[in-house]
Amino acid sequence: MTHYTKRRIENFLAIGLCTLSAAIGLFWLFFILIDVVVEGVGALNLSLFLEDPVPAGLEGGGLRNAFVGQLLLTVVAALLGVPVGLLGGTFLAEYARGTKIGRTISLLSDIMTSVPSIVIGTFAYALLVKPFGHFNGWAGSFALALIMIPIIIRTTEEMLKLVPWELREAALALGAPYYRVILSVVYRGAAPGILTGILLSIARVAGETAPLLFTSFNNTFFSVNMNEPVPSLTVTVFQYAMGPYESWHAQAWAASLVITFFILLVTLVGRFIIFRRYGKWKTL
Amino acid sequence: MDRERSLQGSLFYIFTTVSAFLVIVFLVGIFYILFSESYLAIKKFGIIGFIFSQEWDPVRDLFGAAPTIFGTVVTTLLSLFFAIPVALGIAIFVTEIAPDYIKTPVSVAIELLAAIPSIIYGMWGLFTLSPIMAEYIEPALQQSLGRVPLVGRLFEGVPMGIDLLTASVILSIMIIPLIASISRDAFNLVPSIVKESAYGVGATRWEVIKKIVIPYSKLGIFGGVILAMGRALGETMAVAFVLGNKHQITTSLLDAAATITVSLANEFTEADTDLYLSSLFYLSLILFAISFVTLGVAKLTIQRLQRGGAR
Repeated sequence: MTHYTKRRIENFLAIGLCTLSAAIGLFWLFFILIDVVVEGVGALNLSLFLEDPVPAGLEGGGLRNAFVGQLLLTVVAALLGVPVGLLGGTFLAEYARGTKIGRTISLLSDIMTSVPSIVIGTFAYALLVKPFGHFNGWAGSFALALIMIPIIIRTTEEMLKLVPWELREAALALGAPYYRVILSVVYRGAAPGILTGILLSIARVAGETAPLLFTSFNNTFFSVNMNEPVPSLTVTVFQYAMGPYESWHAQAWAASLVITFFILLVTLVGRFIIFRRYGKWKTL
Repeated sequence: MDRERSLQGSLFYIFTTVSAFLVIVFLVGIFYILFSESYLAIKKFGIIGFIFSQEWDPVRDLFGAAPTIFGTVVTTLLSLFFAIPVALGIAIFVTEIAPDYIKTPVSVAIELLAAIPSIIYGMWGLFTLSPIMAEYIEPALQQSLGRVPLVGRLFEGVPMGIDLLTASVILSIMIIPLIASISRDAFNLVPSIVKESAYGVGATRWEVIKKIVIPYSKLGIFGGVILAMGRALGETMAVAFVLGNKHQITTSLLDAAATITVSLANEFTEADTDLYLSSLFYLSLILFAISFVTLGVAKLTIQRLQRGGAR
């Protein structure tokens, strides 16, 4: 065998292995997605959205309480997290660009993004559940907001840095004070990217379960009172899937399908906004 | 008017500064709160005593972290072991092998899959993967690798599908998209002129990948792997369904076990004594410290290397 043939064979094998491993990876991933769709669609019906749960073991009922609770938790988390993230990112990109403190906070935000979400849950428990003696919605939203903040800070920072410096100089030359420049020129230029960052952070927390397990806990009744335990889809899925009843399992699949669909939709919209603005698929 | 403007400007500056510094406040706050909540357990068991103790007996108020740290480390390393080759394969396939009309759909699919929440992976693992593992894969492993001396000890016991191996497989499926998309971005940064030069002197495609693309994007791959490791260390829901939450150190991958995250998820609301709760906070503190140090060191290393221009 000549050296050349050996190289050809090695090339063929290696490329084949890469393609194979890509196929294996994609196979598992699509297996999951298709499984969720198949199992979920079977259990999907109107009463899932319109009715509250029936007592354990009985057929029928829905998860209206969990849908509303999930929405409530996510919206409150966004109200807490988005302003902080947006302003923090602005500080890093506009006031602290290139400074040591700016770099440090950027680095810490990156690390905070990777803090296990259940650790954040225990933190929220110690801060907002233990002193009051009962689980409550605020603690859940607070935990979700803590997960959102570093994501929004970093995407906002990156997106603001993409706005050309000349644009700021032009606005400054017209006599606008710097905060005006930021508010009406820089933000406008970076709006699509910032919006995408916010959407992606919402998609991220909408699927979070671990930080809610012992903060907002769960509630089998319809409740929009943030001072009480608030039901959420994800925690309900966890309880129902671990539970013994077939009807629970079916509803857990249906709820999973809805969560997955929602998150994929939000992610796609976010990517599409970036695609429109910058002409390419960009990883944030 | 000028004064009003400068007042607004200062207010805006102050708001942004406070928001940014909140990150530091939160991180220090997490550390401080977890430390003070676990103080009771720290005082009782010490640091070395807690980390190396295998006891976990709420009835006798005896707690040790060794089994959960063991579970966390084993599932993390095993999932990386499964995920890295597949993820790099996907990244290579997408950037270097696939034709353009396959490239974009596969890329988008991978990114969407990275967005699927972990509870979906966990539930799928419980209802779909775990029976498959118990009926086919685990018996097959016992028949083959299980007969090899020494290695066989990894596959002892009755295959139930609720064990370290199943949990690691689910974790690896979950982190594959993460490593794949970051490595893909790193591969895409390799200047095409360098690759073309290699092709120009007659290198095969694999030689270009092995000798140009991978060395050039080492740093990116490293970053992706560390990020995935952080994710795997702290992942709760994907493993909570299929690990069994059994505090034990075992040589067999077909045994139930517990990770820090799983025992927090299962026991936090059940802790009935102060010491029990404090010990759980202690576990949380240890997990926080592990992930903080790992990611911090990795990020600093990457920054230093980037600044030094070394690749």
